[in-house]
Amino acid sequence: MELLLAQTTDAGLADLGKAIAFGVGVGLGAVGAGIGLGTIFGSMIQAVARQPELRGELTGIQWLGFALVEAVVFYALLGALLAFVLV
Amino acid sequence: MSFVFAAEGDFDPQHEFLLEEWIPIHIGPLDMSVNKAVVYLWVGGLATIFLGIWLMRFGLSLKPDRRQTAGEAIYELVQSQIAESSLPSKALRLWFPYVASLFLFIWVVNIVGFLPLPISNDTYEVFGVDLPTFGIYAATANLSVTLALALITFAATHVEGIRYNGVRRYLKSWIPEGVPGPLLALIVPLEIISQFMRLISLSVRLFANMLAGHMLILVMLGLIFIFSSWFLIPISVVAGTVIYLFEVGIVVTIQAFVFALLSAIYIGAAIEPEH
Repeated sequence: MELLLAQTTDAGLADLGKAIAFGVGVGLGAVGAGIGLGTIFGSMIQAVARQPELRGELTGIQWLGFALVEAVVFYALLGALLAFVLV
Repeated sequence: MSFVFAAEGDFDPQHEFLLEEWIPIHIGPLDMSVNKAVVYLWVGGLATIFLGIWLMRFGLSLKPDRRQTAGEAIYELVQSQIAESSLPSKALRLWFPYVASLFLFIWVVNIVGFLPLPISNDTYEVFGVDLPTFGIYAATANLSVTLALALITFAATHVEGIRYNGVRRYLKSWIPEGVPGPLLALIVPLEIISQFMRLISLSVRLFANMLAGHMLILVMLGLIFIFSSWFLIPISVVAGTVIYLFEVGIVVTIQAFVFALLSAIYIGAAIEPEH
């Protein structure tokens, strides 16, 4: 990995640290959102299995919840990007 | 992202997000220059107007053809899923057009962002003529655009709240009932902050979604150039295509839907606070 070997200077090490922090930060954000999305779609499946006639009404709520939860990853991504650029 | 793309020389995919001034217009401190995002917004706006007129304005009949069915499906979606469930009936006539055009406009701009169009900073030469390269860029992957859209909703929320309820009753509706005095000092600032947090969450959600979608496709294809390896090409192209299809098929529509739905919910909640 030439990429990694090139990073043995002090500035290179700082870049490396930033890259690791970026990955860990966004990754942890994705873990939370993943759990949330699983809950939403799992509940949706259960709800439709019990009362299939409510599907139309529930779909809108489901996508609203999906977008609200999914946005959390992007807040993490944006925060990490800001930290990556500014620090 | 300079670290990610540090390894390759000429090829700089992150230039997709670089906005060069094509027609500089500076009015005092205001920078009104025409750049790539502005041109994409023009294309999106024209496409929205054309789509609306073409789908719903002429040749309507009782036996709908495919074009009319598509138009009615969009209308039906906005009416039943977005407007009627969140706007109070007294404000439906006034605010349904806003919510519907918001949905259609954001959807079209997002879709246009995934079509390869010859609107780009880079050029290539064919028979001595410099032609712009085909590239994808979404105007909604730009915080200024989404913030402007969110500001319209933000302003509409408070103007309508005050118009329907009066200043006193509207501001009072921010204060939850049955809370003891000392706690109010804590809750009221939180309520005021949350009004502004809506502005941030509404704009950043759309912006970050579109940015991340384009970024993912870029990174997938950029891997080929970072590692300069032929073996990566099939993997990168397939992964990029899968992400592209996911973005076009699901994310584009959902983000437009959610933006319009949240706008409707905010405006509806301001008009009828106890609703």
